Order: sequence, then structure tokens, then C-alpha cells
Amino acid sequence: MSQPRSSYAVGTGLFIVLGFAALAYLATQTSSVANVHQGDSYVVDAQFTNIGQLKERAPVKIAGVRVGQVQSITLTPDRDVAEVKLSIDKSYNHIPLDSVATIFTSGLLGDQYVGIDYGSSKQTVAAGGTLARTKSTQPLEEMLGKFFGAGGVVDNVGGSYAVKAGFSNVGTLSAGAPVKMAGVVIGSVQSVHADPVKLNAQVVLSIDKRYNAIPDDSSAAVFTSGLIGSQYVAIQPGGSPEMLKDGDEMILTQSAMQLEDLIGKFLVNGSPSDKKDAGNGGK
Amino acid sequence: MNARAPQHDNVVTQSLAQIGQCGLFLLTLLAAIPRSFRYLRETVRQLWFVGAMSLTIIMVCGLFVGMVLMLQLYHVLSIFGGTSASGMVVALSVYRELGPVVTALLFAGRAGTAVTAEIGLMRATDQIDAMEMMAVDPIAYVATPRFLAGLIAMPLLCCVFCAMAIFGGHLVGVTWLGVDNGTFWSNMTAQVDVHTDIVNGVLLKSLAFGAVVSLIAVFQGFTTPPTSEGVAYATTRTVVASSIAILALDFVLTAFLM
Repeated sequence: MSQPRSSYAVGTGLFIVLGFAALAYLATQTSSVANVHQGDSYVVDAQFTNIGQLKERAPVKIAGVRVGQVQSITLTPDRDVAEVKLSIDKSYNHIPLDSVATIFTSGLLGDQYVGIDYGSSKQTVAAGGTLARTKSTQPLEEMLGKFFGAGGVVDNVGGSYAVKAGFSNVGTLSAGAPVKMAGVVIGSVQSVHADPVKLNAQVVLSIDKRYNAIPDDSSAAVFTSGLIGSQYVAIQPGGSPEMLKDGDEMILTQSAMQLEDLIGKFLVNGSPSDKKDAGNGGK
Repeated sequence: MNARAPQHDNVVTQSLAQIGQCGLFLLTLLAAIPRSFRYLRETVRQLWFVGAMSLTIIMVCGLFVGMVLMLQLYHVLSIFGGTSASGMVVALSVYRELGPVVTALLFAGRAGTAVTAEIGLMRATDQIDAMEMMAVDPIAYVATPRFLAGLIAMPLLCCVFCAMAIFGGHLVGVTWLGVDNGTFWSNMTAQVDVHTDIVNGVLLKSLAFGAVVSLIAVFQGFTTPPTSEGVAYATTRTVVASSIAILALDFVLTAFLM
């Protein structure tokens, strides 16, 4: 009787030990102990105008090495500024006062973290102090906007003025297409509609207020970006001392080239007149 | 406590009566915990039976779950060139969902049925009544030790399951498919959080599942009609009710804990 009892007691003890060993393995080997290790730390404030996807417990890094974590993120009640409390390990208590706290993204799609770049000040940030110099996160849309020259320009309602232009043919130009000068987007096409009297296409261009020095004899042309790209309106500046104002009409326009027209120019029996009739008939 | 389920013809009222009886039975079980300390050796014996004896199936299943998870993830993630994240995904999915749920389902099949059948046969052969005749409290001697054993065994089994799944994932991913060993572990340690994943995921969930499975198993054993057919029926019902309870509770727990 005692033999089987002791055998199952030993077996049960082994089972419990194995279970706890597995738990210790999971907790120490497969998870970051640093994530939970909260040694002695001190709290530093930093204010950001945009924290992006930064979350609580996100890492705080100096030179890429983790030195602490984000303790809390609160919105300052009367201002649109996010107050981020950084909990930093006590052993890194020589952070210069003029250090810059920046929100970085690890990789292209990774999580965001706060990086601290050391300044040159002799004074160091004390516990409860504030890092005054911060750089907020760069929203992807803004960065893309910088690359493609679009960004906040196109939808800048109120910050733009409207100019009309008549084209005999706009091709596939549609509202929202970019308006470019020297290849840079300066506005967008507000509307495209056919004029019942002049029998041409009336295009309203909405141009950013910053570009208010466009001569009024500038010409507008419908171009295609690349071979199969979308169409846009290109403005080629003229030489007149008078500038385009809101509501003005651009006189000099160049219509969209159509593939059929181009082919027609090569072929002897090309008939641009037919094309024109077809265009007007379908208005 | 020995009350048979009263005969209800309506399915809804029958189920409601079952749930109500089960809740009352839980209170009886918990009230009997101080009395069952006298039978501590019985609790250890049950722990050996439901815990240590389940280790083999739990370890083998954990190994294969980790292996197949890694195999699937590798082929999907290699489309996006993200195989370095596979270790992390294996760890997170095992800790948060697969570990507790699969362990609980296996536990219900391996240990829950055995407990139900054992208690049911005790009833069918009048052993329970004999205990009462001998002034031994059957709840404190039979039911509570098995309940406590399940409660203790489940988290431990779940930890073993998870560790084996990680091992299986490592075996397939690193050893066979060539995921880098360093990124496998570093991505895992960077993303697994002790509180949300291991305490809330592995331990809390498996503790809740252990309580539910053990309660259902003991309850079905005690309320079974004392016939051979009744025991068979109660054993089946333990598995069915446990599985449903585990999966439903898993959703609720995930919604609350995450």
C-alpha cells in the first residue's frame, strides 16, 4: 500500500515541478523580462504635438538601447498637445536638459518608440523635469505628400482661388486632377463641364493662394503623366505684368492630345474635322 | 446533493435546471473545501491522476500544435518576407488562445471523462451511499479533491503545453526551415509581455478552464442516473458541455482581458 502511494506522490511532485519549470521558462526565456522589470526609475515629461501610434509601455531608447518606457500619455486639457511621461532607469540620470525627444518608428511598419538624442547642456534633467525640445511623429501622409508634392495643397479650401479655362477637348480630365506648374502641384481641378454656348469644355482650376503671381497670359494645357498615366493641367507662365486673379479666365489653352489625332497626323487620310464633329456632337 | 435531475420535458427548462443545479453544486463544493483538507492525500492522488497522467498527451499535442503552426506560418509569412516574425506569432497565438483552449479540450477528454465515469460508477454501485452510511462526506472526500486537483493541474499542464509548442515551433522553424535562431527568439521576447500574455493568457485562462471542466465533470458524475447507460450518457455530456463552455468562456475572457 505504501509503495504505490509514494510512487504517485513522487510523480505528482515531479508534475508540479515540471509545470512550474515550464512557467518559469515561458516567463523568462520567451518574454522580455525587461518589459516587466521596473527597477528604480525616474519620470520625465515631454510634450509632443502629435504622438502618432505611440502607446503606453512603448520603449524609450537612447542610441537605440532601451532605457525605459512610456508611462502615460495624456492630452493637456486646454491645448492640443500630448503630454507623455517617460519612465527612465535611474542609472541613466545624466540626460542633458537640452536633449531632443523624438518619436521614431521601428522599421517601416513597426511600433513607435521615443528616442532621446543627447544635447550639449551641462545641466541634466531631474526627476519630474521636462524635456522641452521634442520632435513629433511624422505622419505617413505628410511624408508621402513631400515626395509627391501633393499634401495639404490640394484640399486647401479657402486658401485657393479659382481660374477658368476653356478647352476644345479635355480628354479624360476629371475633377480632382492636379494642376501643375513646372511639374509641381499648385492646385486641383475643381470642375469640368461643357459650355452650352461656346461648345467647349469649361474647366475651373483651384490654385493655392501662395501662387498668386501667375501672369494672366499664361497658358494651360492638358497633359498626360507618362504614357498611360492620369491627365493633369499644366500651366506654362507667360510674360504679362498682370497677374491672374480669382474668377479670371485663361485665354491660351492647349487641349488634350488624343491618340486618334496623333495617329491621324501620321496617316495621310487622317480627318481631324471628323474628330471635332464627334467631340461637339457628344457634348 | 444527491438529488437527481427532476424530469423536465422542455429542452430550455432542462438546460436551465442543469445550469442552476451546477451553480448550486459549485457552492457545495466550495463550502466543502475546509472539510476536504482532512483528505489531502486524496487530493494529491487525484492530482497525480488528472495532472501527471495527462502529461504525455499534453506534451505530444503541444509539440505538434507548435510544429504545425510554425509550418503554416512559415509558408504564409514567406510570401511577405516576414518569416522572422514567425516565432513571435507562434508564441503569441499559443499563449493567448491555443495553449489554454487546446489544453482544456484535451483535459476534458482525458481527465474530465475519467472523473465523470469514476464518480458515476461509484453512484451506480452505491459506493457514495455507503460513504454516507460510514459518515464520510462524499462531497468532501470524492468531489472537492477532484475539483481542486483539476484547478491546480490545468495551469501547470497549460504551461507545459505552451513550452512544448514553443519547442515544436523552434524545431520546425529554426532547425528545419532555416529561420534565424536569433531573430526567432529576439522577436518573441520583444513582443511577449509577461502580464498580458503569460499571466492573463496562460495562467488566468487555464485556471478558469480548469475550474469549469472539473466542475462539469464532477457535477455530471454526481447527477448521473445510476445505470450503465446513465454513466455513458454523463461521460458524453461532460465532453460536450465542457467543450462548449471552454470555447464560450474563452471568448468572454478574451474580450475582458485583452
